[in-house]
Amino acid sequence: MYQSIAWYATLFFVFLIALAFSFVYGESRKLKEYGSIQEKGYKIRKFYFLGLLAIMGFASAISLSKLPYHDQHVQAKENGKVVEVSGIQFAWELSNENFTVGEPVQFRVTSKDVTHGFGLYDEKLHLIAQTQAMPDYTNIVSITFKKPGTYKIMCLEYCSTGHHVMIKDIVVKPKGGY
Amino acid sequence: MESKARKQIKKGVAFSLMVTSVVLVFMMVFGVMMLLNQGNVVKISAQLFYKVMTIHGTGMIGIAALGGSAIMWYYLSKYIHLNPKVFFTNLILSLIGVVMILAAIFVFNFSDGWTFLYPLPSASAKLNGSAGALFFLFGLLLLGIGYLVMYFYLAARLIKEYGGLGKSLGWDYIFRGKKGYGPPAAVVATTMVIIANSTGILAGATAIVESIVNILNPKFTFDPMLAKHLTYAFGHIFANCTIYMAVIAVYEVLSEYTGRPWKSNKAFLIAWNFSTLFTLMIYTHHLLMDFAVPRWMLIIGQIFSYANGLPVMVVTAYGALMIVFRSAVKWDFASSMMFLAMFGWVAGAVPAIIDATIVVNHVMHNTKWVPGHFHTYMGMGVIAMIFGFMYYFTKTEGTQKQKGIDNLAISTYFFFFTGLAGSFLYAGKISTPRRWAEHLPEWTGADQVGALCGVLIIIAAVIFTIRFIIGLRTLGKNSETNSLKSVS
Repeated sequence: MYQSIAWYATLFFVFLIALAFSFVYGESRKLKEYGSIQEKGYKIRKFYFLGLLAIMGFASAISLSKLPYHDQHVQAKENGKVVEVSGIQFAWELSNENFTVGEPVQFRVTSKDVTHGFGLYDEKLHLIAQTQAMPDYTNIVSITFKKPGTYKIMCLEYCSTGHHVMIKDIVVKPKGGY
Repeated sequence: MESKARKQIKKGVAFSLMVTSVVLVFMMVFGVMMLLNQGNVVKISAQLFYKVMTIHGTGMIGIAALGGSAIMWYYLSKYIHLNPKVFFTNLILSLIGVVMILAAIFVFNFSDGWTFLYPLPSASAKLNGSAGALFFLFGLLLLGIGYLVMYFYLAARLIKEYGGLGKSLGWDYIFRGKKGYGPPAAVVATTMVIIANSTGILAGATAIVESIVNILNPKFTFDPMLAKHLTYAFGHIFANCTIYMAVIAVYEVLSEYTGRPWKSNKAFLIAWNFSTLFTLMIYTHHLLMDFAVPRWMLIIGQIFSYANGLPVMVVTAYGALMIVFRSAVKWDFASSMMFLAMFGWVAGAVPAIIDATIVVNHVMHNTKWVPGHFHTYMGMGVIAMIFGFMYYFTKTEGTQKQKGIDNLAISTYFFFFTGLAGSFLYAGKISTPRRWAEHLPEWTGADQVGALCGVLIIIAAVIFTIRFIIGLRTLGKNSETNSLKSVS
């Protein structure tokens, strides 16, 4: 969802910016005294500035209430399944590889050598969650699988020449199924 | 004496721009090579891919800094006396650093990327031998020293001329109610870059020294999180400062071409002060997926990354639009590139700001969305400013004339750069990881589109470069050359 929001928001705002630049370019061959342009321009700028502040304030208020960090995550219950995850050049080690739809899972992610990136992909190859796998630190990422299938853990932090082969498949079974 | 110094400044700027443009073309070729491999069009080994990735990143950021420095030096010397020896000292140290980096990558197989994360170089040193990692790290360190020497010298000159860096950043006008206009835009921008980039380089140097110490004696270990903070404080600030150096050309060229002054009024000065502060603060948006970082620091990363868009969107880009609006501006290579570069900068800021949103970053961090936004504001922003300045330089200092092929090259460059940036952003939308030598079949379409766009961008860049080098032969033949102040 957030990928689509980012994509369409970018297209929309870049289109608006392109429109503004095109308009000014179209008007650039005309000549008018700069003082009056400045006077009007500064007035418009105040509204433009306030408009941008409002958009940024709105986006902050909405987005900061849904942080993916452990204690704010809806499914991050202490009674969830805890899975220890270690990145090591160039593989993922998991303490438990049995996953079921609807079960809250806490991935406790670290690394045994260099920094890796724990990226969780669904069956359609959409990135659904991630955190860094850093030596000496443990980052907790919580997720509740909504659909059964084969998910992938891929490395999202460059960790040397085997970075792209650092993929692990995990199977999520249907609720009550096999 | 003065005449000799003036010639030296021009030579330094010309040489830097020549190196910038030639290296840029090679780095673009490396970029296309990576896209072709990811797109499964050609096949290179993973090790070669990551070596190419390392030189592409290091080289691109290096030439953006070199080209930006040339612009900063050229314009700053219009307002204050500068010693060209300092510029050449930085240039020589940079070139030695570059040779060491090239040796590290192509002779000793270093391939850890330009923003490597400790302890990756130590791990690589164990696999491939210490020489590669050490050559690379010492090469980077030498580059950093070169820039620090230049910034400290410029700081000393500004302090002498304006009475302090606060004054050259316009604090008299902001806080003490001084009337009129502040220092020239070139002076304000240079002050910002001195403060931010010196801090960034010192942070980066600390991270580099940590890696060197750990390689030489593995008993000495460091906190990888602290090292990551230092690395991104450096990487983020250094990359951003290339824009803040190059944008000086936008202020100067558009002002000259429209015949309208771009003076540093209070809003302008406040914007640059905030840019200084925000640029130093917001590197934490590179650590949003490090959940162990204190939450307040990450929230600051988001909020102030948003805020950092305001100075450019509300003051600099808006100022560019205002100064061009109904100005009867003479559109040529230089003015077109500066205008389009402002579009590129602001357009790139949009996906960058969106990516700094924590919930978005959670599913887009380290996907190709990231190179998508920085290719937009670096390629269509900074590099466009540098290309525009290259033409301006050979036109003003020589007798360069615009030709039809230049218009074609400009159109080609921007049209296909939009395609390249779009292909990266789309790849990010479909969750393609960045920095992967090989891509799954689902991801290769965007790579192939990007590679095709890249080839046409290279053709445009080759035209710009050849035209610039030919134009260099006319240097000094323009009798109306602007005067540059300098001391020997």
